[in-house]
Amino acid sequence: MAKHIIVGAALAAALMLGGAQNALAQRKGGDVVIGISQAPPSLDAQITSAQASRNVTLHIFETLYARDENAKPVPELAEGVTVSPDGKTYVFPIRKDVSFHNGKKLDAADVVASLERYRKVGASPALVAAIDTIKASGEHEVTVTLKQAQSTFLDNLSSPRAPIAIYPASEAAKEAGKIEIIGTGPYKFVEYRPDSHVKLTRYDGYAPNPKGTGRDGFAGKKEAFLDTVTFRFMPEGGARSAALEAGQIQFNETVDGPTAKRLGTDNRFTIHKMVPFGLQVIKFNQAQAPANDVNFRLAVQAALDMEEIMAISYADIYQMDPSWLYPGAAFHSMVGSDKYNKSDIKLAKELLAKSSYKGGKVTFITDNLRPNVDTATLVQQKLKEIGVEVDIAVSDWPTVSKIGFTPTGWTFWTHGFGIEPYEGPGSVMAPWVNGLSQQAKDPEIDRIAAAFNAEMDEGKRKALFDAFQKHMYDAAVAMKAGNYGVFQASTAKLKNFKPYRIPRMWGVWLEP
Amino acid sequence: MGHFLIRRLAGAFLVLVLVSLLSFALIWLVPGDPAAAFLDASATPEQVARLRSALGLDLSLPQQMLGWYGRILSGDLGQSILLNRSVTAALIERLPVTLSLAALALAFAVFFGVAAGIIAAVNHNRWPDQAVMTTALLGLSVPDFWLGLVMVLVFAVSLGWLPSGGFTPFMESPAEWLRSMVLPALTLGLVQVGFIARMARASMLDTLSQDYVRTADAKGLAKLHVVLRHALPNAMIPILTVIGIVSGALLGGAVIVEQVFSIPGIGRLIVGAIASRDFPVLQGGLLFLAVIYLAINLVVDILYAVVDPRVRLA
Repeated sequence: MAKHIIVGAALAAALMLGGAQNALAQRKGGDVVIGISQAPPSLDAQITSAQASRNVTLHIFETLYARDENAKPVPELAEGVTVSPDGKTYVFPIRKDVSFHNGKKLDAADVVASLERYRKVGASPALVAAIDTIKASGEHEVTVTLKQAQSTFLDNLSSPRAPIAIYPASEAAKEAGKIEIIGTGPYKFVEYRPDSHVKLTRYDGYAPNPKGTGRDGFAGKKEAFLDTVTFRFMPEGGARSAALEAGQIQFNETVDGPTAKRLGTDNRFTIHKMVPFGLQVIKFNQAQAPANDVNFRLAVQAALDMEEIMAISYADIYQMDPSWLYPGAAFHSMVGSDKYNKSDIKLAKELLAKSSYKGGKVTFITDNLRPNVDTATLVQQKLKEIGVEVDIAVSDWPTVSKIGFTPTGWTFWTHGFGIEPYEGPGSVMAPWVNGLSQQAKDPEIDRIAAAFNAEMDEGKRKALFDAFQKHMYDAAVAMKAGNYGVFQASTAKLKNFKPYRIPRMWGVWLEP
Repeated sequence: MGHFLIRRLAGAFLVLVLVSLLSFALIWLVPGDPAAAFLDASATPEQVARLRSALGLDLSLPQQMLGWYGRILSGDLGQSILLNRSVTAALIERLPVTLSLAALALAFAVFFGVAAGIIAAVNHNRWPDQAVMTTALLGLSVPDFWLGLVMVLVFAVSLGWLPSGGFTPFMESPAEWLRSMVLPALTLGLVQVGFIARMARASMLDTLSQDYVRTADAKGLAKLHVVLRHALPNAMIPILTVIGIVSGALLGGAVIVEQVFSIPGIGRLIVGAIASRDFPVLQGGLLFLAVIYLAINLVVDILYAVVDPRVRLA
């Protein structure tokens, strides 16, 4: 017994010592400059869904609910929520310990004003479309009533796409783009120089969520150690890498594979792999022949070697996975895997023979992002084997997106889905509802999506998402090639960094 | 001189009208939709249509054109789609950056170009002449984006002497401003050094063969004195014209150099506007650059006419 006590005491001491060492390792101070490829179009978080804006604004602003490490909605500025049995009334108690960067304490009026503003000017109005009324039901309590029950309401509320950021009521009264940048997050805004940088400084009055035990997605305990964080806009990949090597920046948002390999052999730098970051998707235009024929689509699906596509398009940073959600997501599903990544030329030829395709060229549109062009080229080569002739049309994103959202001028279109699978099943289904992405209505998808939105039972919702995924494969509505990632690079002095959907500068510190 | 000025101003006005027409024609010529580019891939057709309407893109082209001319005649270049500010404000913010970059690059190009041209001319057909001409040809052939990256690798990454990019305003720290501008200005100017050197050499050779230079030589004046005091002022007349052309080229080159060195100038603004189909910025930016280019050329023409009165009568 005494021996056990001694061993136990020794273990406890070792753990305490380890903890103390860890605590000592965390140091306040230091300035980090992050090289990002695009300038944020706005720092008014509510009005833009640009990744570049998200990179910055999610350090400044917070939401009522935010996503945890597995993208599940958890309370952030709300203490929690009570949902009425009919699923139409949500009562949010608001945390009392939170203050804005201008010193004002957060209360229900700020939340009401912010949600109302999002309904008027928010970049993703669908997120709040189900809301009927928003009322302050106490100094620190907000009641939201919905027009009809919506199972994805907390998902929407916590979406980082164009975040439903909470502003002081005085700012929320202002027009889109006219606000002072004042949030409740761990960093506060200092300056924005167009085409140059955004600078933030640590907010020492920040009150971390008491329920958080550590860094957890966009929620959890956000501890800021750095004095300042500067986001420098550097469109050229080579210039970003050079700046990292020259010590001008401490973090590079994205580096290409060969650069990651080269920097990875240098102990001055650390390479971070963010996998998955998106799904590589190949769409069909079902508004016109031949992709309006299910046998043609199934033939293409059967022919393609998705692993080859991913291995070449995203060398060293991809995952093979049939699911339309990311691994770790609650509804991640293997349904349809029997039709995924088959590369079965014989079956493809049989299906093609049953289709109305009798030769002739079809057009594959793609933007000029190298992995997308690679994907198009590999599809072109593979389809040649079954007798389908593909022309590739490469343009920049604005041109391609204009064509791709019309029912003519294309048969295939490839690009990534990054935020949708992160947001969850509702967002993954949304682009196919009303035939938005495939240019022809699909009654089965419309039925499943409507039922999913109204269904509050978790098990039944899972079954509905499985049905959606099964239909995506059975009717080859569109094809998923695989999950891709991004390489990021930092100075080795940046400690405790963990990649996520934005480069989070909380929970990290700089060593001298 | 008065007639000369009126002729030049009328020509400049005509060019401006042409440029404004071409700027507007971009709406037809450049494929892509600003509304679709601004929204993400999951935008509904209704959202795209709403934004198109808010931007006035649903109006007929004559209506859009009338609106555009109406605005520019009242000095309003419109509102940026992306930047949440007026085009004029966006241009004015970036103008000092581009002008200071171009001015520094021009100073560099003129100093080294003229010096190299004189050295080559004075040493006609000897090895310094051949060395200068070969280097000039090399300089003219090197793409500025490549040269910029090499500069960064050598002076920022390997030697660590200068920053690899970014910009510090002069008013904030003159020393840091200079440090941030040296590599971009060198990159931008180096390509033009060759151009000026070749012109300076040719002009100098022509001047050195004149009788008054031979007379100065015969009087026993020092070689340096003859070259700098007697030959150079006359050789500068054609060089002045070249400097005007180079100034325009520097403004154009700044588009690439600002991108490589992450400098927040007008070039970068225009590149961003092309990528995002921010048509008001693109149209306004091109018109603005055209005005600057025409103003530089006008000044050069006037200087040329002052130096050589025959120009006014031509």
